[in-house]
Amino acid sequence: MSKFITKPITASEFTSEFMRLKRGSVTRRHFLGITGLGLAAAVMGRSGAFSLEAHAQDLGTQMSLATWPNYHDPATFEAFTVKTGVAVEVNVFGSNEEMLAKLQAGGTGWDLFVPTNYTISTYAKLGLIDPLDLSKLPNYDPKTETPRFTNEGIIDGKTYAVPKNWGTTGIAINTGKLKTPVTSWKEFFELAQTEAGGRVMVHDYQLTTIGNALVSLGYKFNSIDPAELTKAEELLIKVKPHLFAINSDYQPGMRATDAWMTMCWTNDGAQLNRDMPEIAFVLGKDGGEIWSDFYAIPTSAANKPAGYALLDYLMTPENAVREHIANGAPTTDSRVLALLPAEVTGNKIVYPDEAALTPLEFGAAVTLTDPARAEVMARFKSA
Amino acid sequence: MRALVFLVYLFLYAPIALVVLFSFNAGRSASEFTGFSVAWYGKAFSNTFLVQALSNSLFIAAASAALAAVFGTMAALAIERMGVRMRLVFEGLFAAAIVVPGVVIGIATLVALAAVFSILNPVIAGIWPGESPPQFGLGYASIIAAHGLFSMAVVTMIVRARIASLGRDIVEASDDLYATPFGTFRQIVLPQIMPSILAGFLLAFTFSFDDFIIAFFVAGSNTTLPIYVFASIRRGVTPEINAVATSVLVASLILILAARLLMREKKTRPLGED
Amino acid sequence: MTAAFVAPAALWLAVFLVLPFIAMLVFAFGRRAPEGGYLPAFTFEQFLNLPARATAFGNTLLLAPVGALLCLLVAYPVAYYLALRADPRHRLVLISLIVVPFWTSLLVRTYAWMYILGSRGLPSLLEAVGLPDIRMLNTPGAVLVGILYGYLPLMIMPIYVSLEKLDRRLLEASADLGARPVATFFGVTLPLSMPGVMTGTALVTILLLGEYLIPQLLGGGKVFFIGNALVDLFLQSRNWPFGSAIAVTLVLVVVVVLTVAMRIAWRFAGTRRVDLV
Repeated sequence: MSKFITKPITASEFTSEFMRLKRGSVTRRHFLGITGLGLAAAVMGRSGAFSLEAHAQDLGTQMSLATWPNYHDPATFEAFTVKTGVAVEVNVFGSNEEMLAKLQAGGTGWDLFVPTNYTISTYAKLGLIDPLDLSKLPNYDPKTETPRFTNEGIIDGKTYAVPKNWGTTGIAINTGKLKTPVTSWKEFFELAQTEAGGRVMVHDYQLTTIGNALVSLGYKFNSIDPAELTKAEELLIKVKPHLFAINSDYQPGMRATDAWMTMCWTNDGAQLNRDMPEIAFVLGKDGGEIWSDFYAIPTSAANKPAGYALLDYLMTPENAVREHIANGAPTTDSRVLALLPAEVTGNKIVYPDEAALTPLEFGAAVTLTDPARAEVMARFKSA
Repeated sequence: MRALVFLVYLFLYAPIALVVLFSFNAGRSASEFTGFSVAWYGKAFSNTFLVQALSNSLFIAAASAALAAVFGTMAALAIERMGVRMRLVFEGLFAAAIVVPGVVIGIATLVALAAVFSILNPVIAGIWPGESPPQFGLGYASIIAAHGLFSMAVVTMIVRARIASLGRDIVEASDDLYATPFGTFRQIVLPQIMPSILAGFLLAFTFSFDDFIIAFFVAGSNTTLPIYVFASIRRGVTPEINAVATSVLVASLILILAARLLMREKKTRPLGED
Repeated sequence: MTAAFVAPAALWLAVFLVLPFIAMLVFAFGRRAPEGGYLPAFTFEQFLNLPARATAFGNTLLLAPVGALLCLLVAYPVAYYLALRADPRHRLVLISLIVVPFWTSLLVRTYAWMYILGSRGLPSLLEAVGLPDIRMLNTPGAVLVGILYGYLPLMIMPIYVSLEKLDRRLLEASADLGARPVATFFGVTLPLSMPGVMTGTALVTILLLGEYLIPQLLGGGKVFFIGNALVDLFLQSRNWPFGSAIAVTLVLVVVVVLTVAMRIAWRFAGTRRVDLV
């Protein structure tokens, strides 16, 4: 509410005209809301973007970012706010499916979000993201990026998303509590039913939970074969009573030692290990996921200038370095790599040997949208 | 039995005590007490998003409760004058509005509005003369409307119960004394049902202010306090949330006490003056 | 005049109750779009797939009444004490104290329970007295504690109201006629408080049938109510048609439970009135 009442601090003539219009419409909306004409007046939601585009220097006072748990250095956004006057609202999600569902339903208000490699073609196909205007991102340099991690952001030669970092999905294990070493997803699911009973977490989305179950059974991570999915579902339902939780935000549980072992992304593994050395991070030798996360701007973003401004800020190597040190995920940008301290680049959790990455697979677009996998996951959760 | 009752109060208040305690935590965590500080109160009330969520919630609760109080009372009065069949229809619909789970109301409203908007918006765009046609979307209005449904049903129920206990005789007496129907309503009926309307308003306000699940689905890009808290639980709760929750608790306690004192004052006035 | 007065409420019921329900019904006969969402169709496959959520329906139909009964067992003595035993001067304060928790966000209070039941809360106290590694959070027990916590006041209030209205002379008469306190309780007090008991139980059961938050926060995504399965279908699987079919079924379940509850309540009220005469 206060967003509409507060006067813009920097106001070009046009902007103040626009804000007046916006204020006017909102007052009318409030009035109609109270008088009961309600929805008839819930207008002007989308029309906000039309004018701000041309006045890129006016960034408004706030924007919204949709991202993952524990994925940024809070100081980054504080510094951005100091620099630009734009406050950043950080929304955290547990899965790409959830982000997709929100964007499909509409009205998210996100100006920037962090989709994973295998989702971008779907977003582009559904018209939920537009190609980025790279002239607004002077600090992004495609030449210093690693194509292996960045090419899924480019569709038909157009850049829809630029990379944030890459990573893996491995196993975080509290070695103080669990004595049996774990080196594969097969052992992960075995231990979950024995020594680690009641203390194991799996992700709250289908790609990795089903994918790693498939891997543990000797199948492909991205399999959509009905017979193989049935086997994976049987395994998951058998394991479920022994789980601590089905939740993609496992750091609180691991830190409180409520949970002793979890499916874990590189960055969380690095953060946990940094603060609690007894928590180890291992990659499944039988397989698992390798991924890269991107930044993209939703078509429906209300404050695209601020979205671009934050994105460019995050693409600046000096800022990206701080993010990478805090977040603990490996960078895709050689400029950033050069600036990172040796203890980060030498950390085997963050930058594992190439041999450890060989069995890993990137998630596939068909896996995201496959209805059978979605239903297997939903049945597992409601079992 | 006393001991058991004491235990129940302890059970009810232990979590609240914990919430209040951690609001004074010096550290960043809402689960590890590291020292006393009031810093989070300052942080909470200078956090744009948290303050906006709080003011959104207050506005939405006030608007939906006011709407429900007026329209619900009107409906209650009207239902009393209806034929049996119509009355049954409305009773059934209002009962449904109360018992259908919030999660269903939230999702169904989202689905229905999304469908309506997807038809309406292109039509508006087609006939709009200007550059950028207005677009329907989810927001304040949809939350107020969805909360208003449940609240209206509650107000109608409470006010109807009150009307039923009134009896026709005072209304008839008023009519006999040549009062106009509106005069009878304003001077006889309204004062009698006013406490029920107020109770309904308060209940509606509390419901809307605390509702998560309906708002979660129909809020669009707007954030209410419960939605903000739910998001915070995911990204890690800081004592900011505790500070706001404690402030809301204290504010409502003050309001209750004030209301109580006012009522006591009224009661001690000599009879006949009321 | 009557029509004008009821018009706004009628409009509301039409647009925000009837229309959404019709939309759900229409969607329930549709198909899931390839990327998620809804494709128009006329098929019964969503309803035929309902057994895939049998466990969630089962959980809900078990835990809702169990939760309500648990609330009842705890609430009755409290209501009894407040209505019949407490010092009348303190009664108002004590009653207000039952309602005050509602003024702090349920989400925040439930979060406090996540802490109390997590490793750093009660289990760490138990560890100190020699009971290590006891797990409380994310169990059906934790969900029941959350339910008891969230719904107890809603159970206490109606029982208190019916006990408070009770004519105390009946209790004196019972005692004068030589009935022991226990006999008076089961012969007079309990039957006369039945309306409150029924109201509270029905209210809590019905609210619990649509519960989402408590299992979500205290059940760790493992203890699934049908409300959780429903949200999951819209927010993860993006299967609107199947979600709609489940929503329609849930509404039917609520209607059935409500009808049964009302039948029982009616029978109680009916027979007891005869007894009193």
